[in-house]
Amino acid sequence: MSNKLKKMKKTALYLFLIIGVIIIAYPIYLTIITSMKTPQELSRSFFALPERLNFDNFIAILTDSDYPRTVLNTLTITVFASLGTIAVIPMVSYAIARSMREKRYYKYLYFFLLAGIFVPFTVKMLPLIKVMSVMNMLNIPGLVIVYISSAICEGVFLYVAFIQGIPIELEEAAYIDGATTRRTFVNIIFPLLSPMTATVLIKNGLWFWNDFLLPLLTLNKSPDYWTLTLFQYNFKMTHAINYPMIFAAFPLSMLPIMVFYVFMQKKIIGGLTNGAVKG
Amino acid sequence: MKKKKRITERNITMFAFSVPATVLYILFFIYPVGAGIYYSLTDWNGLTNNYHFIGIKNYVSVLRSSRFQNAIRFNFKYTILLVVSIVGLSLIMALILNSKIKAKSFFRGVYFFPAVVSMLTVGLIFNEVFFQVLPPIGQLLHIEWMSRSLLSSSKTAIYAILITNVWQGIAIPTVLLMAGLQNVPQELVESASLDGARKWNIFKSITFPFLLPVLTVVTVLVIKDGLTIYDYIVALTNGGPGGATESTALLIYNHGFKEVNFSLGIAEAVIVTVIICFISFIQIAFSNKKSVY
Repeated sequence: MSNKLKKMKKTALYLFLIIGVIIIAYPIYLTIITSMKTPQELSRSFFALPERLNFDNFIAILTDSDYPRTVLNTLTITVFASLGTIAVIPMVSYAIARSMREKRYYKYLYFFLLAGIFVPFTVKMLPLIKVMSVMNMLNIPGLVIVYISSAICEGVFLYVAFIQGIPIELEEAAYIDGATTRRTFVNIIFPLLSPMTATVLIKNGLWFWNDFLLPLLTLNKSPDYWTLTLFQYNFKMTHAINYPMIFAAFPLSMLPIMVFYVFMQKKIIGGLTNGAVKG
Repeated sequence: MKKKKRITERNITMFAFSVPATVLYILFFIYPVGAGIYYSLTDWNGLTNNYHFIGIKNYVSVLRSSRFQNAIRFNFKYTILLVVSIVGLSLIMALILNSKIKAKSFFRGVYFFPAVVSMLTVGLIFNEVFFQVLPPIGQLLHIEWMSRSLLSSSKTAIYAILITNVWQGIAIPTVLLMAGLQNVPQELVESASLDGARKWNIFKSITFPFLLPVLTVVTVLVIKDGLTIYDYIVALTNGGPGGATESTALLIYNHGFKEVNFSLGIAEAVIVTVIICFISFIQIAFSNKKSVY
């Protein structure tokens, strides 16, 4: 009796999970079948499968539009902003974590940097764009620098906590061997930080890649500068009637991140969890 | 003598390490925030060269404007709905995915997938889903509110945005809560169930207190998302119909960049920041009291 009940419970559980999978997959499935239809096919039925595997819409976008360049732009921005983040934040976090107790400067600096976590982007949005426009920074390098600056608060918070957990004896040994502080940091500390570096890279990388508001504010004036999200946004605006075409742009703008996700799934999930649970 | 030299070397390097981040932070964070607060006390429209200092006039007119009040009301209602749906659903999902089931990593992989896609793309896809997919189903089943697009009525548009947001937004909270469940000591759970404690009581007095820190992180994240929502609204309604879904972030954007009312937009932003800080502060103070750590 109780065995039967248990079995029913299990079935209900799987049913629930499978319904969830369908809810997640269905919009994506619809997107893909729609993008393979012609406008005539679509007007007949939204739900029917396409009559044949028709990749014309995809090919049209891939060859005759801004798509390749926007992928390259997004990649450039994500790579350089991520590298910049990893160059700037561990250094300052190391200085803070190791000198905070002796020197007031680093203690104040720590709280000064942490204060930014609570300030939402919208409050600095308008003046930030003014500053960038005055400094002639409404372009890709400018956006990269602003991304690095915006990642500092949270990054310092995560790294300082992590560095404080690393025993100081290693550094003392290096110090006795005569290593300079810079070499100790580069050769000993930085490699030890790699779990936190993975977390920071993934969190920020996904943000840089998928962000819409900052590119909209800084790069929307010319298609030469567009990122994938801007491409997606503008594409929708210019192809208002050709639905299959619009739908074909969805998988294409998701494609790079989907491929990345399939290969890096464990790392991505682990990285995003690390920061919030153990940090 | 040599030792002194090395201490100096260490001090100089440490200071050099702290310079790049500090400079960037001051230039692109502190300065814009400070300048913003200053401009919010002027009548600058964002374009002209001259402006006047007008004190707190902007703040007064923001607090009086019905458009701002509507936006705040929208944000609050939306945030409450969002917190209830996302925290509730992701807790259920995490408990299920953490129990002994087969194909755990498959389910986890699928459920997490929406988190890596851009909010804008998700919003645009759901825009089409609301226009093309739901109405035929509604007509078929004779459900009145479903037979038109949810987005076309000022009453239902907020739920359309909510559905979209939940579809994507439960992914990260679910994974965070799953990780949080690893912190719950299994010995306690096992001995409690050997003593015959009921499942609900085990959850209430063992699992929940240990989960609270992560639950707090999740709630703070979701509250912040709700209060600053922007991307979905641009993709789904652009503030319509009739301004029913104009969030504060969209209003600030509209005032600053579309309606040439820069200083007013910043005053709105400052007020929103104060609200967000206040809420996060209460939230964190409250859960610190209850946490087991």
